Amino acid sequence: MHNNRGSYGSYQQQYSGSSTPTIKNPSASFDKGADFNDRDRINDLLATEKWLTDGFNVFVRETSHQELYNDVLHILNETHHACRDVFNLMFEKGWYSLHPEQPSHIAEHHQKYSGYRSQFPTQGSGQFQTGGMYSQRDY
Amino acid sequence: MYRNQQQQQRRSQPPPILSTKDDAYLTDALSWELLAAKKAHSFASQCSDNQVKYQAEQLCQMHQRHYNILLNHLSTDQQQYYEDQSYPHFHN
Repeated sequence: MHNNRGSYGSYQQQYSGSSTPTIKNPSASFDKGADFNDRDRINDLLATEKWLTDGFNVFVRETSHQELYNDVLHILNETHHACRDVFNLMFEKGWYSLHPEQPSHIAEHHQKYSGYRSQFPTQGSGQFQTGGMYSQRDY
Repeated sequence: MYRNQQQQQRRSQPPPILSTKDDAYLTDALSWELLAAKKAHSFASQCSDNQVKYQAEQLCQMHQRHYNILLNHLSTDQQQYYEDQSYPHFHN
């Protein structure tokens, strides 16, 4: 049985296979008429930010010199943060809901993919070993 | 002579000049940022919820800041490099 919370303009598929409760704040009120309302506006802004991260992701990959690369990567990063801020605001307003996966499914997958580690081409590299060329670095 | 010296240098990275592709992406991105800034500001003025209004204004300011960062590359990169190198001409 699907609950009706968030059924108005719900952008996410309803998930029916879980007995765990939905993670969602009570929905903040907004004009539910045909007019473009606050929820529509913030949702449109989120779509814009998401679209921009796609554009800047391609841009940064195609840049020529280092200074331009640094600046575009910085803009990409800030645009991601902006997406996150908007998402968090929408969640706070109760305009987004999440559905927890069943712990048994997660445990099953953990076991399965832990086993796949035996297929690593090189053994013995610790997860947090430093010094590799592609370990974390500041840009 | 000058040309030969330039060709003998082996660079580990491209020089700080804009490629044709850079220029194309920069002008595209400037248009994106301007549109996003205008949209965020317009939405902010229409919002009744203060948190949503504030977030929209923050987005507007971010996009204007990004616009300036990008615009700066169109104004400094090429000129500065050619001044420093006293580059007489483009190479083909």
